[in-house]
Amino acid sequence: MKFRIYRYDPDADARPRMQDYEMEPGHHDRMLLDALQRLKRIDPGLSFRRSCREGVCGSDAMNINGRNGLACIQPLKSLHEPVVLRPLPGFPVIRDLIVDMSQFFAHYHAIRPYLVNDEVPPQRERLQSPEQRERLNGLYECILCACCSGFCPSYWWNPEKFIGPAGLLQAYRFITDSRDKATSERLAFLDDVYRLYRCRSIMNCTEVCPKKLSPSHAIERIRLAMVRDSA
Amino acid sequence: MRLFAGQSAWLVQRLSALVVLFVLLLGVGHLLLGRGGYDAWHALATSAHGAVLIVVGFAALAVHAFIGARDVVLDYVHAPGLRIALLALLGTLLLGVLTRVVLTLAAAGTASPLGGA
Repeated sequence: MKFRIYRYDPDADARPRMQDYEMEPGHHDRMLLDALQRLKRIDPGLSFRRSCREGVCGSDAMNINGRNGLACIQPLKSLHEPVVLRPLPGFPVIRDLIVDMSQFFAHYHAIRPYLVNDEVPPQRERLQSPEQRERLNGLYECILCACCSGFCPSYWWNPEKFIGPAGLLQAYRFITDSRDKATSERLAFLDDVYRLYRCRSIMNCTEVCPKKLSPSHAIERIRLAMVRDSA
Repeated sequence: MRLFAGQSAWLVQRLSALVVLFVLLLGVGHLLLGRGGYDAWHALATSAHGAVLIVVGFAALAVHAFIGARDVVLDYVHAPGLRIALLALLGTLLLGVLTRVVLTLAAAGTASPLGGA
């Protein structure tokens, strides 16, 4: 199989380059991550993140043949050759396929990704009706891999100010949670020309989400919640 | 709500789109009902309700265009000076177009042999 992989070592390289590789996948190599690990045995300098190797941790997000995805759940058979691998677009590169996600997680922390409820807690737990719990489906499953934000043109242009699709999906996860009591504060924080309203409904986020979630739908729901809140 | 910031701009852009659509549909309806021809259009533009409709339509279009172009400027132009200059130029152009529409309608109304606004 042929691969073209983005290589950049800031300590040694003046500028990034694309390196060609050719290798035969092993008998048990099913996913792109398997092939990458085999390539790393040939070239130990090749750097990428990985952890759970089953689409849960979100570590191995990268640009695969022009689309963001997770290497561990991308079947080798589905890929055109040469398989072109690049780091997530719009993110500063630390080395090869490893990107700096500091800004991405700063946005995540800014939306306060935890329940805010100052009421006296009940003895056992804060109960939800099945309908209230249903509203969290399609939101809580986000693994923060950044495939969506790394494929969003608005995030590319304003990464310091626009929260980005991943952060906004997480924001809506708490806005719609019946146990959270800070809905108005959360909406007021997002009511900003950059934080929420840089979204142009391009919907690349929904297109590439490896967990089949829809950040663009969540963003639309935030806008509607904001209209209701200000009415 | 701050003017043209966050939610207010988003709402105004959608409401202005509805106004533009409404005015356009009225114009298309006018055409489809066979009330074409210079005299019919002149009478419509110089009548009080026609002139108000046209001005409201152009005003909504100007607001809609300003917010849309402002978003493009916010996306791509990051230098504060250039950004302010572009937005000022855009605002002046749109205001100029709107003023021209109002003046043209006012002149046509006063000069109209059919009466007018």
